[in-house]
Amino acid sequence: MKRRRKARVNSEAPDDQSAAEFSFSLTRVAVSQICLSVGYTSTDTSSTLNTLTLITTKFLQSIAELAASFSNSANRTEANLFDIVNGLQDTALSTSDCFPGGSTLHNTESHCLIKSAVLRNLSDFVASAFEIPFAKPLPRLETSGSHGGDSTRMARSPEMRSFPAWLPPFPDSSLYLEPYTKERSDHLWENSDSVIGRGTFVETSGVRSSGRLPLRRASVRFKMGRDCSNGGGSCKSDTRLERRRDDNDGEYGREFEAQKKIGEEYIYCADIDAGEWNM
Amino acid sequence: MNHGQQSGEAKHEDDAALTEFLASLMDYTPTIPDDLVEHYLAKSGFQCPDVRLIRLVAVATQKFVADVASDALQHCRARPAPVVKDKKQQKDKRLVLTMEDLSKALREVNNSSSLSSCF
Repeated sequence: MKRRRKARVNSEAPDDQSAAEFSFSLTRVAVSQICLSVGYTSTDTSSTLNTLTLITTKFLQSIAELAASFSNSANRTEANLFDIVNGLQDTALSTSDCFPGGSTLHNTESHCLIKSAVLRNLSDFVASAFEIPFAKPLPRLETSGSHGGDSTRMARSPEMRSFPAWLPPFPDSSLYLEPYTKERSDHLWENSDSVIGRGTFVETSGVRSSGRLPLRRASVRFKMGRDCSNGGGSCKSDTRLERRRDDNDGEYGREFEAQKKIGEEYIYCADIDAGEWNM
Repeated sequence: MNHGQQSGEAKHEDDAALTEFLASLMDYTPTIPDDLVEHYLAKSGFQCPDVRLIRLVAVATQKFVADVASDALQHCRARPAPVVKDKKQQKDKRLVLTMEDLSKALREVNNSSSLSSCF
């Protein structure tokens, strides 16, 4: 029962704990590699390796804290080589095994960090020791982590350089920039909101026009005020012509009918005169 | 005058040695990866964009672990070996890091340095 409860607690662990476990396990791999290079082949218990790993992380963090405090005391946020060497010096001061000497760091005559025995020993170590690269390449997390180390590794534009690196990164610029700023130059007045109004087809569908039409779009039909009998030409002019033609035709018809009437009467009279009667 | 020239030359040589050392850190690959060191440094409030300085911290940590491990190895070798009659076991003498050797090595480091404030 206890085991089940423990398992539940572990499954509900926050991300910070899992990140700490992950970094600790990575450090343990590195420490075991170093022990292997010294000559060890194994450890008696896992706690031995865990102890050495924990001390390693404490050592690293103590150097970092000292260097950060040195830089902060000098009114700086970023640490430099002097801060690190001072931190190393304070951490391993008078250590006979790790960093012997080191009393010449604050010597005013030297003015050089290489005079420090700490740095000289490290230089000798780099020159003499074999390189033992880490066993496997580390996967890089794309998502922003809970700690500032990984999340602040995003590339900063020159405008953002003034912001400290320990602050969380800015969100994507597309989230807070004005959507119409780039389209102002080629934005036509007849397509503006003052004419069309918000909520048109393009805006509601979530697609910005910017000169490109969507592939599937509704069909559009145009209807004029009145039907035109003739296919081409302007309707008004046609109607006027037709009116003229109608008017002309009417007069011509009336004349024709009058002429016809006159002709018939003439024929009728002539027939009467001739004695013939055709109805 | 000669003393001043000599000190100037020595300073120039030291500067050149420091520059060379920092340049060699660019080519050196520490066992502790840069990202891991950077993670611990950021956790402690350390902020530095220079990779060489991060590698310097990594190298210092690597050297510290190597020194502690080699110290523990000295203790392991100094301990009288148990009597083994089998020849195969004598040949397969494997070095095992024990808590006893590690505690001895750490005690020496702890006594002779200011690391006690950290642990």
